[in-house]
Amino acid sequence: MSETETSTTPSDRKVVGIPREIHPGERRVAATPATVSRIRKLGYHVLVEKGAGDAANAPDAAFQEAGAQIVSREALWAAADVVLKVRPPLEIDGVHEADLLKEGATLIGHVWPAQNEALVRRLAARRATVLAMDAVPRISRAQKLDALSAMANVAGYRAVVEAASRFGRFLGGQTTAAGRVRPAQVLVVGAGVAGLAAIAAARSLGAVVRAFDTRPVVREQVESLGGRFIPFEFKGETGEGEGGYARQVSDAYLAAEQELLAKHCAECDIVITTALVPGKPAPKLITSGAIVGMRRGSVIVDLAAEQGGNTALTERDAVVERFGVTIVGLTDLPSRMAEQASELYAMTVYHLLEEITREGQPAIDESDEVQRAMLVLRDGELKWPPPRPEPVRAGAPTPPPPDRPRPTERPASPWPLRLGVLAACLVLAPLAAWGPPDLLQHVTVFVLACIVGWHVIWNVTPALHTPLMSVTNAISGIILVGGLVLGGGGERWGAVLALAAVAVLVASVNVAGGFLVTQRMLRMFRK
Amino acid sequence: MTPSILLTAYLVASVLFVFSLRGLSAQHTARRGNLLGLVGMIVAIGVTFAALLWPVPDARGGSPTPASPEALGVLGAAMGVGCLVGAFVASRVAMTAMPELVAILHSFVGLAAVLVGIGSHLRAARTGEALDLAHEIEVWVGVFVGAITFTGSVVAFGKLRGTIRSKPLLLPGRHALNAALTVACVALAVLALRAGGPVATHALYAMTALASVLGVHLVMAIGGGDMPVVVSLLNSYSGWAASAAGFMLGNDALIVTGALVGSSGAILSYIMCRAMNRSIWHVVFGGFGEGAGIASGTSAGTSATGRVREIDVAGAADLLLAARSVVIVPGYGMAVAQAQHALKEVVSRLEARGTRVRFAIHPVAGRLPGHMNVLLAEADISYEIVKEMDEIQEELPKTDVVVVIGANDIVNPSALEDPSSPIYGMPVLEAWRAGKVIMLKRSLGTGYAGVDNPLCYKDNTLMLFGDAKKSVLGLLAAIDARAESAAA
Repeated sequence: MSETETSTTPSDRKVVGIPREIHPGERRVAATPATVSRIRKLGYHVLVEKGAGDAANAPDAAFQEAGAQIVSREALWAAADVVLKVRPPLEIDGVHEADLLKEGATLIGHVWPAQNEALVRRLAARRATVLAMDAVPRISRAQKLDALSAMANVAGYRAVVEAASRFGRFLGGQTTAAGRVRPAQVLVVGAGVAGLAAIAAARSLGAVVRAFDTRPVVREQVESLGGRFIPFEFKGETGEGEGGYARQVSDAYLAAEQELLAKHCAECDIVITTALVPGKPAPKLITSGAIVGMRRGSVIVDLAAEQGGNTALTERDAVVERFGVTIVGLTDLPSRMAEQASELYAMTVYHLLEEITREGQPAIDESDEVQRAMLVLRDGELKWPPPRPEPVRAGAPTPPPPDRPRPTERPASPWPLRLGVLAACLVLAPLAAWGPPDLLQHVTVFVLACIVGWHVIWNVTPALHTPLMSVTNAISGIILVGGLVLGGGGERWGAVLALAAVAVLVASVNVAGGFLVTQRMLRMFRK
Repeated sequence: MTPSILLTAYLVASVLFVFSLRGLSAQHTARRGNLLGLVGMIVAIGVTFAALLWPVPDARGGSPTPASPEALGVLGAAMGVGCLVGAFVASRVAMTAMPELVAILHSFVGLAAVLVGIGSHLRAARTGEALDLAHEIEVWVGVFVGAITFTGSVVAFGKLRGTIRSKPLLLPGRHALNAALTVACVALAVLALRAGGPVATHALYAMTALASVLGVHLVMAIGGGDMPVVVSLLNSYSGWAASAAGFMLGNDALIVTGALVGSSGAILSYIMCRAMNRSIWHVVFGGFGEGAGIASGTSAGTSATGRVREIDVAGAADLLLAARSVVIVPGYGMAVAQAQHALKEVVSRLEARGTRVRFAIHPVAGRLPGHMNVLLAEADISYEIVKEMDEIQEELPKTDVVVVIGANDIVNPSALEDPSSPIYGMPVLEAWRAGKVIMLKRSLGTGYAGVDNPLCYKDNTLMLFGDAKKSVLGLLAAIDARAESAAA
């Protein structure tokens, strides 16, 4: 312990504390020496519990070097204004972490407020402000805070490593003097972040990977990582739900999925399942029949074990062998890569802290969509669940992708419609009153042509906007006809003919130029 | 010739035009669409000319007056010369000069509408009959729209060529000025319709002048970066002008065609505006991008603390060779430097190595809607790898290297992060989410919106300064050198 560190601590700085995780088997820590020095740059004083990072290869000395002060557990909880954690607070040996929290302090970590009501009440009693790292909304701006994705990435990688270590063969194919080795066949079920990470990891070990997902839109992502996508169609139903997550589906749909997967399981050596539906138990996609049909020595890693598992035979937190198939139901995969997982998690937590810090103080901005979504308690007041965002306006040609920010999407105002009706009345009334019949005929043609144009143009692909403009430009050279009609009106010489001739001249430049240039442009487009 | 033949031919032409526009909705039918438009035009012009030779009773009930041989000769000669000039220009123009060409062609339609309108008025006045109110209103509307289109397009042409400064000219009280000009035009119309005779003619001239000033002023107030919207808006105006001419001459072919073009341009403008998160009314009434000049000062101040990381051609080539997926974001700078052909070679080299290369096109990249697509097509780059913003946005985080060539505002993170930025809220290509960003840029200057770009200061951004074409050629040489040393 260096005294200089403690003595130079400015007393007016807010204190960020990083306790050791007490959940049995948890090796991760919510900050790394790298993020500690960045947190200090935000204006905080940082306390780290003795031994907090030991299991994640971040020894106390490294934290100290980064400017943190190493303290005892009691001292940390008593002093910290902001506590950074990985797991939700829990009770060990009769002491609950929530009760240790300083009155009015801020807690950042996984909370799972929907499943942990009692915990939230307990924290509320401490007048705590709580931000849940498990409630980051899925929008682009929030990606750097997305702890779940970061952990899913680690889990997906680790799932392949777990499977490979329990699989008695190579993953990659080889031709050796001792004979030919076929590459392992890997099936990944659910192509979310974890699934995609698993595909990438399995591919890099040389396996042949196929992936299944009910959301057809992920096909390209699977293929971009070198996986083969297993298409699945069922009477027009897709598995894509709100926010880009999968959704719960009908029984018949599930049965069809199970049947398809059973067929693929029989052909595969390693199956990694990652299928989750938000707020629901994991779907049982792999039936015991499918497992019986697998080759002996095959391995299943079930990343959904915590939510009940994707296979019928998964046992939570255990590795079991059923019908010759090893089924891995471990739920602490990120913790098994504590160093990597801590590094990534610590960065997401740091990013959040950076967002909410104003002049060295945590100051949560509830008007911010991201912070609002993550806020569970504010000074003990329940803020969860957040109000639902305005639904996207109906009638859009394609629903926008989930993670696109729409900073200024305004609700449709009734005024354009009212003004339109008013304008139509203003134009139509005098026409009805005094319009000559032939004028009305022309107006009819005009209005109908506008409507036809409106409908035809909406289908044009953006890539063709320039040719479209130049072709419409050529077509508007039709005014040439006007010039001809005017000039042919019986004049011999005179002002009218001269005007008409010039009009015809410029309009024909337009016609010839427009069509030719469009043709030139279009000839260049090739597949 | 009977009126029925004439009208049937016009009907055929109109239908052909509709199918022409419809054909342009997809790549594989686009060329046929253009051809249909051409056929429609030939039908319309041919039958009109034939009607001059063998006159039809006027739709307004007049007895047929055959066109004099002199008039036919003059009109035919004008048409011939016009076609030759048009064909010559169209076959010579460089694809990068396309925006200017389109703008100046719009002005021609506007000019023709003005001339036809004035001529139509003079002819009606000549007969000495009492003025037909409906016809006069049509003339006034046609000339008004035509004059705005004409001068507005000329100014747009000048701005695109760079002969007129592209910075918006923001006169104090410009909305009041616009309103005053419009009111004056209406007042002149009322005066003329009441007085009739030579007064009406002079009033029409005066109104033409006022509308021309209005056209100049409306476009002068718009900055160079917002030209795609302006050009498509003028495209729309030129259609309305043609339609108005159709009304005054009682010609349905003109009305229909003008309406098609008008709504096409209006939709394009609307799409562009939506892509930039702007209100279309700001563009219609001019002075859009206001506040950009003021805000650029403040945002430059906040990001001046950033550090720029530079990279040389060899380093950039190494990055590209090591990448498994590359996305290229082109902007107007690529067009100016004519870098697309060299770029095509780089893309071929990378693709030959198995790298996945794609292009990401922002809806308002360049100076025309779809401008980048045309340039890339010119360079023989397959449209299969040219993606729209929405198609590629989600792929950017999974991309190893994003190469930004001559683009600035369309990759500016301020649009999402800085509410004080004038482009805040505009959807942008989120290039910074990729592993590395190589930004080819002439200097650290601001884009057309006059906004500093924090992307330059991001940790994963590497700047490759210099002329875009030279840089790309340098990249190509470096890539080839690596390949040779690997082979040796």
